[in-house]
Amino acid sequence: MAATAAVAIHQFAECITCHAWSPDLSMIAFCPNNNEVHIYKFFTDKWEKLHVLSKHDQIVSGIDWSKSSNKIVSVSHDRNSYVWTQERADWVPTLVILKLNRAALCVQWSPKENKFAVGSGAKSVCICYYEQENNWWISKVIRKRHESSVTSLAWHPNNIYIATTSTDGKCRVFSTFIKGVDTRGSQSSTSTDSKFGEQIAQLDLSSTWSFGVKWSPSGKTLAFAGHNSMIYFIDEVETAPAAQNLALRDLPLRDVLFVSERTVIGVGFDCNPMIFVADETGLWSFVRFLDERKATPSTSKASQLSEALGKLYGQSKQGTSSDTVEPSKPRGGAHENCITCIVPLRKGSDGTTKRFSTSGLDGKIVVWDLENDVSIAK
Amino acid sequence: MANTLRLYLTCIRNTLEAAMCLQNFPCQEVERHNKPEVELKTSPELLLNPVLICRNEAEKCLIETSINSIRISMKVKQADELENILAKKFLRFLSMRAEAFQVLRRKPVQGYDISFLITNYHCEDMHKHKLIDFIVQFMEDIDKEISELKMSVNTRGRLVATEFLKQFI
Repeated sequence: MAATAAVAIHQFAECITCHAWSPDLSMIAFCPNNNEVHIYKFFTDKWEKLHVLSKHDQIVSGIDWSKSSNKIVSVSHDRNSYVWTQERADWVPTLVILKLNRAALCVQWSPKENKFAVGSGAKSVCICYYEQENNWWISKVIRKRHESSVTSLAWHPNNIYIATTSTDGKCRVFSTFIKGVDTRGSQSSTSTDSKFGEQIAQLDLSSTWSFGVKWSPSGKTLAFAGHNSMIYFIDEVETAPAAQNLALRDLPLRDVLFVSERTVIGVGFDCNPMIFVADETGLWSFVRFLDERKATPSTSKASQLSEALGKLYGQSKQGTSSDTVEPSKPRGGAHENCITCIVPLRKGSDGTTKRFSTSGLDGKIVVWDLENDVSIAK
Repeated sequence: MANTLRLYLTCIRNTLEAAMCLQNFPCQEVERHNKPEVELKTSPELLLNPVLICRNEAEKCLIETSINSIRISMKVKQADELENILAKKFLRFLSMRAEAFQVLRRKPVQGYDISFLITNYHCEDMHKHKLIDFIVQFMEDIDKEISELKMSVNTRGRLVATEFLKQFI
């Protein structure tokens, strides 16, 4: 078997809601399940806490760190969002005028980093951009399109389209063209002709809540997960959407990540990343779990005797406890609780992601390296 | 343990494994609130279909799931009046100390004897498999507990009666 894919495991807190990496990957920002954002930096051998950003007054639900402009955007259940910029040693917040009356749930910088999008429990999506005159971030809201909370969103590489998933089970694609921020005709495609808030597509695939939408690196394929343990892949979203539904044997996914055009990693309630691969014909299938489960074949042999012994002992000592329904086993993997967030780290020479990190309710951040894994790197 | 009870509990365990996929979810209706949706039931799209598992007419378990909480209600076997009283008293005793159990609901859902309410916060603090073990163990023990209580009441009744009737000999 190949070397294990998890290259670094670090326990930062009791529980982590979301995390993001600095552009040079030396620092990490995460929310330890409260109203603060902690920033840690890696010094030669250990992680040290550098800053605590405490401006929110309810749990922080989303963090994103822009790659080129080195800004952090955070959103919280208190309905607010802040953009943090580094000035010498300190991080200075700028309030974003969100116009939301419910919790903000997710946030993402656009590829060009001149806009960011916030999904909310107010059944709307805010597209925020910077206004030079007033020195603040203002927002335009896409209203009355979602029938329930917006759980996640993803920017198309063209900087105009945005895909959203919602607890009404639908996945939608909108245009977010903003005059004065985006330039028309820069790309010779239909994407720049659409108005702000125009719905490009609505994919009604999942019968229950949908989560974790992502575009493939080229923007040709869209993937999202449903709470009915399904993962959906959609090709040619703009013109003639062609969907593939893949039912899983295991618990539902919470988030997905395209590591290349043909490989997707899914994370969720099974505490173990799953690998999905498309073959030459474009047919997606589940390959295997990334983290090898500690199957412990040796114990299964010895167990028959110990089980019998346990029965003898159990009946005298603890009554029925050994004769009961077998207790569920703890999961022997890198994560011990639901994984909620997956972030790409390093891009390989061919534009594919080789490393990514996951965080979950167990408070760990795990860095995974696909190159260590022979069977996927092939 | 009777074979049917094992099947019943295995079924409940497997259902709980699948159903207990909870996440933090703020209220859609009220600003800055975060409440178990399974109790509020304000947004129908945030609820899943409830599952009812029955061993027989007297013993059943209702599992209601929502996005951030799950409610497990059960009806305990009550074969006669004595068992009925014992179950009522015993479960009331437990419900009054619900804080100590964290996941126990102070009042059972109508039509059931005892209810548990598990929210995403419980899943963050505790291991999911331990929570499920607790619920299943509880269900298993409750029957035993009540039959033991019944036995001791009967024994005591017999003893008292014998003592009382001795004076007439």
